[in-house]
Amino acid sequence: MRLYHVALHEIGRRKTRTAYTASGIVISVALLVASIIVAIAGQKDIVLIINRYGHSLTIFPATSTETTLKGFGIGSGQYIPESALPAIREVYDSAIKSGWEARGGWVMEPGAPGGVELLQPATFAPRLYEETTIRDRHAVIAGVDPEAEYKSRFWWEVETGKLVSRPDEVMAGSVFGKITGVNLGDRVEINGHSLKLVGVLRETDSPDDYMIFGVLSTVQEIFGKQGLISMINVRAMCNYCPVGDAEVALNKTVVGVRATSQRELALAQHTIFRNVTNVILGFVALSFVIACMAMFNMVLGTIHGRLREIGLFKVLGASRGQLMRLFTYEAVMMGLLGGIVGYLLGYAMASWIAPWLIPGTTVEFTWWHPVLAVLAAITCSILATLYPAFFASRIRAAEAFRAL
Amino acid sequence: MIECKDVSKAYQIGDMVTEAVRNICFKVEVGEFLAILGHSGSGKSTLLSIIGGLTRPSGGQVAVDGEDIWQWSDNERARFRNCTIGFVFQFASLIPTLTVLDNIALPSLFGEGMTRAARLRARDLAGIVGLSDKVDSYPSEISGGQQRRVAISRAFLNDPKIVLADEPTGDLDEATEAQVMDLFTGMCRQHKTTILMVTHNRDLIKSADRTLVMKDGGIL
Repeated sequence: MRLYHVALHEIGRRKTRTAYTASGIVISVALLVASIIVAIAGQKDIVLIINRYGHSLTIFPATSTETTLKGFGIGSGQYIPESALPAIREVYDSAIKSGWEARGGWVMEPGAPGGVELLQPATFAPRLYEETTIRDRHAVIAGVDPEAEYKSRFWWEVETGKLVSRPDEVMAGSVFGKITGVNLGDRVEINGHSLKLVGVLRETDSPDDYMIFGVLSTVQEIFGKQGLISMINVRAMCNYCPVGDAEVALNKTVVGVRATSQRELALAQHTIFRNVTNVILGFVALSFVIACMAMFNMVLGTIHGRLREIGLFKVLGASRGQLMRLFTYEAVMMGLLGGIVGYLLGYAMASWIAPWLIPGTTVEFTWWHPVLAVLAAITCSILATLYPAFFASRIRAAEAFRAL
Repeated sequence: MIECKDVSKAYQIGDMVTEAVRNICFKVEVGEFLAILGHSGSGKSTLLSIIGGLTRPSGGQVAVDGEDIWQWSDNERARFRNCTIGFVFQFASLIPTLTVLDNIALPSLFGEGMTRAARLRARDLAGIVGLSDKVDSYPSEISGGQQRRVAISRAFLNDPKIVLADEPTGDLDEATEAQVMDLFTGMCRQHKTTILMVTHNRDLIKSADRTLVMKDGGIL
């Protein structure tokens, strides 16, 4: 038997007292773990939005006021003429260049080494949305420019088959494929035109999952909308491009279109979320201080109740260091226990809170969360026990002897 | 072996000074059984506490094998209590969360460590006091007399040169008291241990080689 066995016996035989003493730490650790897990899930969600849509602009017909499918111009009769694309591109490029310069960026004149050619040109991916009926089901078909579309939506992955590339081919979103039961190689009838299904996309958690995609020119022809598009997705192709400036310039300069950028919105959301998380973590830190103080009082009280025991240890030859170690071991064990229970409780809380706070999110296990929980609990426990342990070690053997 | 020279202890409470022990002088030889008899409040427990290195005297010297134990550091006195002295108290004073075997072996924890040898010795001692079948029990599961026997076994674990006993049969009934006393004196004789026993019970001093009577902090 070693000193820590004595501590272990003490904790094992006095379960209620141990549970009561460690309860504050359990609650603090649970709050810490839940806050961190929910914060990470939230940040991840926002970062995903920024990565997917943050460096891009979406351009709609100016009369559209919604960003839902209905607002994409479907059935509204509102379109952007394809012929406007070069003008839109010019305004966009100019705004990006000015934006860089305004931020101190060094962009040289065309033709000079290191000039604007170094800026990767943005990808303009036009789409035409139309409503139709496929296999007796209402459906939305999107006509796309395959090359530009795949560059712009780099997160697209094919579940089966391949991406659409030829005028007589179509590709289904994952939910569309499941609902209609279309299979690879099937012929899909659209407005009297027969097109071959060549691929099904993997789920993207976006409206794309509910659509079917064809080549833009084919869809324009089928629906008699030659030269018209419903929207343009502009991907900046660089992480820090001032797309906000381009958004402002397009809305000011190009008549009949409305450009929106999600980057600023997502960044603002990111900042708010981070600040709220920091405030919550501040409260968690405060709860640790309170837990430490509560534990300090309880341990000190316990030591007064264990005077006989401390006295006996002293009489039997325990040194001050050994007594300090004994109480520190108890603190470490209580911290370990509080950390494990607190982590489990916090994980359960996060599993319940995160999907409610950020719909669609899932809580993931990360190895450093339990490690952090246990370390925080042990540190708090040791800090709370340090003085009481020192006090116990300084109790005079004579006083302890009288207690026997 | 033990020599007390002008040992005194005074407590100050407010303006009042109480002399618990006054100018005590005596010697105890190796293997001697000295009984200190006195009423409650006569200072006998304080004297025992001073000799055991638990209460610092106000004056005088306590020499063990020629060395003044009150010139030592706290840690040296802790080692002295662990290796040289066995204590038996008025109450059994066992650790409730440890088994009988661990309670007997407890002093080794603060010395060389609770080795297999220490546990074997503890088991042997439990056998000597008739508790072989109770080694895995907890103190709350055995009787008062059995608890006292555990405490006596514990006092002999480190083979101490001196045993200090403070009313070792304190709250026991007569029959158990006689049994415990026989066991205690028998073990002391067997181990050739020097014994200092304080008591107010005249029946207990029969086994002692010599008796000192204390009154009001002094020896009569």
